Amino acid sequence: MLCFAFFAMATIMAQNQNVTGKVTDEKGAGIPKASIIVKGGKTGTSTDENGMFNLSVPGAAKSILISSQGYIVKEVAITGVPLNITLTTSVSSMEEVVVVGYGTQKKSVVTGAISSVKASDIDNQPIVRIEQFLQGRASGVTIAASSGQPGASSTLRIRGTTSINNSDPLYVVDGIPVDIGGIDYLNPNDIESIEVLKDAASAAIYGARAASGVILVTTKKGKAGKTMLSYNGYYGTQAPSKKLDLLNATEYATLQNEASLASGGGIKFANPSALGKGTDWQALIFNNSAKIQDHEISISGGNDKSTFYTSFGLFSQEGIVASDISDYKRFNFRFNGIHKINKWFSLGTNIGYSHIKSLGIGNTNSEYGGPLSSAINLDPITQSIITDPSIIASSYGLGSTGGLPAVTDGMGNPYGISKIVGQEMANPLAYIKNRIGNYGWSDNLVGNAFVEIEPVKGLKIRSNLGAKIAFWGNESFSPTFYLNASTSNDVNSFYTENDRGLNYTWENTASYTRNIAAHHFTALVGTGAYLDNYLSRRSGVTYRKLSVNTFEEAKSMNFAVLPANVLGWGGDYTQHKVSSVYGRLTYDYAEKYLFTGIMRRDGSSRFGSNNKYGYFPSGSVGWVASKENFWPENKVVSFFKLRGSYGVTGNDNIGDFQYVSTITGGKNYTFGATDLYTIGNSPSGLANPDLKWEQTSQTDIGFEASMFKNWTVSFDWYQKKTTGMLRVVDVPLYVGVGGYTGNVCSMDNTGFELELGFHKTISNVKLELKGNVSHLKNNVSFLGKGIEFLGGGASLQSTQYPLSRIAIGHPIGAFYGFERLGIFQNQGEVDSYVSKAGAKIQPVAKPGDIKWADLNADGTINADDRTFIGDPTPDWSYGFTASAALKGFDLVVFGQGVAGNDIFNGLRRLDIANANWTTKALNRWTGAGTSNDFPRLTNDDPNHNYSNPSTFYLEKGDYFRIKVLQLGYTLPFALTNKVLVQKVRVYVSGNNLLTLTNYSGYDPEIGGSSYGIDRGYYPQARSFTAGLNLTF
Amino acid sequence: MKKSIKYIALCFAALPLLNSCKKDFLDVNPTGETSLESNYYKNAAEIFKGVVAAYDPLGSETGGTYSSKLGLLNTASDDCGVGGGSATDQASWAVWDNFTISVGQGPQGDLWGRNYTGIYRANLILNKVDGVTDLSSAMKGRYIAEMKVLRAYYYFDLVRLFKNVPLITAPIPTADIFNLAQAKPEAIYAQIEKDLQEAIAEANLPATVPASTEGGRMTKGTAKALLGKVFLYEKKWAEAAGQLADVNGTPGGTSAYGYKLLSNFGDIFKPTNKFNSESIFEIVHTAQARQDWGGWGAFEGNVMVQMVGPRNYGGPTYVTGWGFCPITMDLVNVIKNDPRYPYTIANVDSIVAATAGGAYEKGYQNTGYFIEKYAPKLQYRSSLGGLGDLNYPYDYIEIRLADTYLMEAEALTQSNANAGRAKQLMDAVRARVGLPGVPVTLQSIYNERRLELATEGHRFFDLIRTNTAAAALTGFTAGKNEVLPIPLSEINNTKLVQNAGY
Repeated sequence: MLCFAFFAMATIMAQNQNVTGKVTDEKGAGIPKASIIVKGGKTGTSTDENGMFNLSVPGAAKSILISSQGYIVKEVAITGVPLNITLTTSVSSMEEVVVVGYGTQKKSVVTGAISSVKASDIDNQPIVRIEQFLQGRASGVTIAASSGQPGASSTLRIRGTTSINNSDPLYVVDGIPVDIGGIDYLNPNDIESIEVLKDAASAAIYGARAASGVILVTTKKGKAGKTMLSYNGYYGTQAPSKKLDLLNATEYATLQNEASLASGGGIKFANPSALGKGTDWQALIFNNSAKIQDHEISISGGNDKSTFYTSFGLFSQEGIVASDISDYKRFNFRFNGIHKINKWFSLGTNIGYSHIKSLGIGNTNSEYGGPLSSAINLDPITQSIITDPSIIASSYGLGSTGGLPAVTDGMGNPYGISKIVGQEMANPLAYIKNRIGNYGWSDNLVGNAFVEIEPVKGLKIRSNLGAKIAFWGNESFSPTFYLNASTSNDVNSFYTENDRGLNYTWENTASYTRNIAAHHFTALVGTGAYLDNYLSRRSGVTYRKLSVNTFEEAKSMNFAVLPANVLGWGGDYTQHKVSSVYGRLTYDYAEKYLFTGIMRRDGSSRFGSNNKYGYFPSGSVGWVASKENFWPENKVVSFFKLRGSYGVTGNDNIGDFQYVSTITGGKNYTFGATDLYTIGNSPSGLANPDLKWEQTSQTDIGFEASMFKNWTVSFDWYQKKTTGMLRVVDVPLYVGVGGYTGNVCSMDNTGFELELGFHKTISNVKLELKGNVSHLKNNVSFLGKGIEFLGGGASLQSTQYPLSRIAIGHPIGAFYGFERLGIFQNQGEVDSYVSKAGAKIQPVAKPGDIKWADLNADGTINADDRTFIGDPTPDWSYGFTASAALKGFDLVVFGQGVAGNDIFNGLRRLDIANANWTTKALNRWTGAGTSNDFPRLTNDDPNHNYSNPSTFYLEKGDYFRIKVLQLGYTLPFALTNKVLVQKVRVYVSGNNLLTLTNYSGYDPEIGGSSYGIDRGYYPQARSFTAGLNLTF
Repeated sequence: MKKSIKYIALCFAALPLLNSCKKDFLDVNPTGETSLESNYYKNAAEIFKGVVAAYDPLGSETGGTYSSKLGLLNTASDDCGVGGGSATDQASWAVWDNFTISVGQGPQGDLWGRNYTGIYRANLILNKVDGVTDLSSAMKGRYIAEMKVLRAYYYFDLVRLFKNVPLITAPIPTADIFNLAQAKPEAIYAQIEKDLQEAIAEANLPATVPASTEGGRMTKGTAKALLGKVFLYEKKWAEAAGQLADVNGTPGGTSAYGYKLLSNFGDIFKPTNKFNSESIFEIVHTAQARQDWGGWGAFEGNVMVQMVGPRNYGGPTYVTGWGFCPITMDLVNVIKNDPRYPYTIANVDSIVAATAGGAYEKGYQNTGYFIEKYAPKLQYRSSLGGLGDLNYPYDYIEIRLADTYLMEAEALTQSNANAGRAKQLMDAVRARVGLPGVPVTLQSIYNERRLELATEGHRFFDLIRTNTAAAALTGFTAGKNEVLPIPLSEINNTKLVQNAGY
């Protein structure tokens, strides 16, 4: 649309004429919202719901241009009679324009690998964050939610994990890089399109910050023409889609007795059957009717000089777990405007503001308590609420609770405290009560202002100044409480934190486009300066020993606190600066032979003095074979483009001051009986002035084609090699100080991506299918001289060894542990499992214990028998959208899935012998022939059946999920027009309706820092919503 | 019109220059407490912070995992088991309890690392102290002496725990990092003796320090006691007796360094009675840091105290802990009729039995008996802030007067010298708890050491140096388990050689 506005420069004529008509598709159905513009003029309108239009045009106007997304632009002469205009579908979608860094390009001449998702692809779907916009809709992008907590971020990886350190992509919103932590300020409803720059050739224009790919977000802009007022909203309820099958009280007591007897203890519960079903802790924390709602009003419009888009959004979502302390609310405001002062000078602004308030359960995937982990691990015997006065008197008095108050419900009845399961596993109801009121908040204002001049035709000079101002913090109250013997708090406190951040960017570009016959050139040069964390500070205050005991009372701070009980802290965020110069040359001959070359130089405050600046070049070529004369006119392949690229990008997300030896604190010591707690400082490590960015080079070969009239295909194969990944070069501990950070490790990602599109109208039913599938293989190739693997790895409380390992020749984070050969069914099998020398390999094993594979055949089972047993990263990820429209009805199905990954099921705490089990434990080994999978239950576990990380805990993580199933109905225009409403659409939508998986936990989609490890994961909700779209 | 176009175009063309002309745009300086090593240690305040940092590893409670030296030594000895929630609760502790310790698993990494961290920081100060402009020569002399005592202490731990360790007495040039070899144990001992002798000879190292403000700082008394102990381990009996005699003075009286036995045995370990007259080398912990789990690796509270409390305990006096280091029945049987028993062992079974609603969780290797000297008690639990579990203000007493009495008595007995004084020393230790004297023999001294010093971290080393470990410790392999394996990280790509048997 903007393009048309740019060309609309004719002078206004005195006399006007009226043009009317109808725009239809090939089947004769009216096309709504098609754009009508006078050729060479500035006047325009759009069609109504039936494709009708009526436009007053200058008398001199000769013809009009009609365009609509998905159709080829058509020019029609003005004849004075009503026009019947039929648009042809642009099956190839090659006429589309895609956003590339610092500009746009016609899709048909793009030589890089770019995936595009448009607002129309996600219309009315309940999308809270930008990551969900892309999930399943863009190939080569793997996304896993870090939790189902409302507002939670997702782990987003473009073409796999690029670095062992930081693999987050660069987000660029309307040309301004926005840090990933603040990206949730963006209301998905305001997004017009997202482009994912996947290959190095596309991303290299962002140089040292582009190694993990770039996500370009373009927000909605106004269009010249009638002012449009729209309301979009939905309301719905959510519920967990699954509960774990945990043992009931009788089953639990029976198995506890068995485990106790097996380890030489006595019977713990004399009469299990008398205990009945007991407490269902899960039922107490799950909310089956958690609310979700979203409302947005947008106004857009403009004329040939100015256009604007403004919106107000309000979103709120309750969590399905512990809704009292799990909640997310966001208020958004956006104003985007462009103003053309004259034909060569324009300026504009894009401003977005958001306010977010979120409540969190504090523990969304951790084995250390919290509502989920506690509900899973707590015994079902303990009552949730104690009402029996005699029990209250005997066990809930201050004498029994360490002098601290037991947490009570509104009636004053104490929440039950388990005497059986302790540690962090507290009664979730009491845990919830203690956190009520605590919240986090943020205010983000992100905006940019630009001026653009075109002093001579084809030369555009643009200066773009952007800023992000963020304020965020949290307030929480911790009462004095006694949850159990190991979880209590004897001093109440109120904590309030206030942070602020300010980021600036300033970019200046000049681009020149020139066509000489069939030679098309575009040259771009630019500079950029980026400053993060300018005047950015954080500070917090803790007020202790308060005379009140709830958040509500505490937050007023309307009481005296002794100075000694006020503890404050604060500090600056370290500034991060980047200074850049870049250029790009794009050339094509007759849109047939294509070439793009890019060079960027970035300097970063994070690089060492010997490597302050890095150069990032890339080149790509394309050949549109279907434009060749020899390409026969045919119905099979109407468009075919082959392309290839190679480029180098960098990652400066490597932390500050990695290259120097800084003096750091925390080496404190205390002197004297008066407790003089004294600050001690010493160097943090050795210096490395050679430190630089992590470098990724990538080769991409692909093709795009339009086939069989209705099909589009896009395919890419790539190989991505990351070198110089930062790692602390371990020096021996005898050096006495940490090693230095060096550019050491290497990793490869290889994969391919396929995107398919189909659309056709079959007897009035408009069908559209979009699908994509990606395959990825990640391989760590170098970790340092003589280093086969890195120490550490993911841990789970009380396992014998880490769960995962980064090792050469294996994917990052691969699960590492023991393999099983089954279960010893009898003593004979234990005795006959012998080494070559004839000695028993597992001398302490008893019947019912796991028979471990002695992989190194040394006759014992120890750390050296571990191997790579699984991979948390999917080999395959895929998604599809199918939509059909008939008359006023429309139906959309969106599904998405992954395959080829494993999940480590770490739901049960190992060091809590009395923790509950899932019903899988009912099938444990209890005698010869009873099980060859689930070992005997025993509290001492001398064979490490449970404490060895092994294939016992691994489950297939494959899933396929119907994310959205939506049915809508648009009221006939004739009806709605009577009340001056352009469009009324109502719809119902089911989200996460169905998940096909063999994984036994809540949810197979486990992202975040505990990728692929389930410690009590907060599952995503299944929801039903009903919505309304209104356009005036 | 044309003019203005040109003017504006010129402005834009100039804009990029603005970005790149500022050459120092990319320079960012650390803010706040942080500075660069290259321009630090220039004044008295900075060097003192470095001195504090050299003390810091003394109190190290955690590294890769929980690694309280005292907790681990108790586990390794026959006084305590490992305990915890299960056999694998702290695997790196459990393997030192049953001597299945291996190159891949054990506490060696943390125990090695903390000592070399201390040595690095002491070396750094010794290297930097000359560059400080505003430091008096008296303070400089004192800091140098303190660093030498600390370095000697760290090396003494290393040579006892690992025997074959590299000797580093100055910051290592980066190029040489991977080229160091282990020194002979004798060379390490020689360096320890040299450092301690030089510290003792330094006029500015105080003989005593004011307990209220400087308690815990190294003194001449500390240096002498440590040197006496080092000589004892070297079986240099006469030298040991000589140093320790200075420390001990007249048995039962107050020595030249102000040391005197407390009259009440039970008062020695009270956190409210820090730096008492019996304490010679005290490792300080505090609740002032008010830490929570975020302090991992730098805990200032005594986390071992939390570890050794009974699990999920409900009852009087104590606070719940994690059930580590349960007292072995062996020690219970030896000490149960001794007057020091109630101050040494907490009989939790009998306490909960006597309390209505009292209970605790019986963890791994539970005997019902727990460490009393470092037991987590409600009255000492911090309420200053942070997690009470992690902020117990209990000090470790690394060397105390009863220990130096018994060490001197041992050195005298070994060298057949001054049997009378040996008897006086033994008698003083016993008389303090109301016990009559016994004939002084090596065996009676060893027995007395076990009873007097139970769970204070001496037992394991005593068993090793008296060659009785194999008999006393289940699973102990003589010729191997006297020392820990050199940590794997120290062998990879270096010239270090693994200890025999591992």
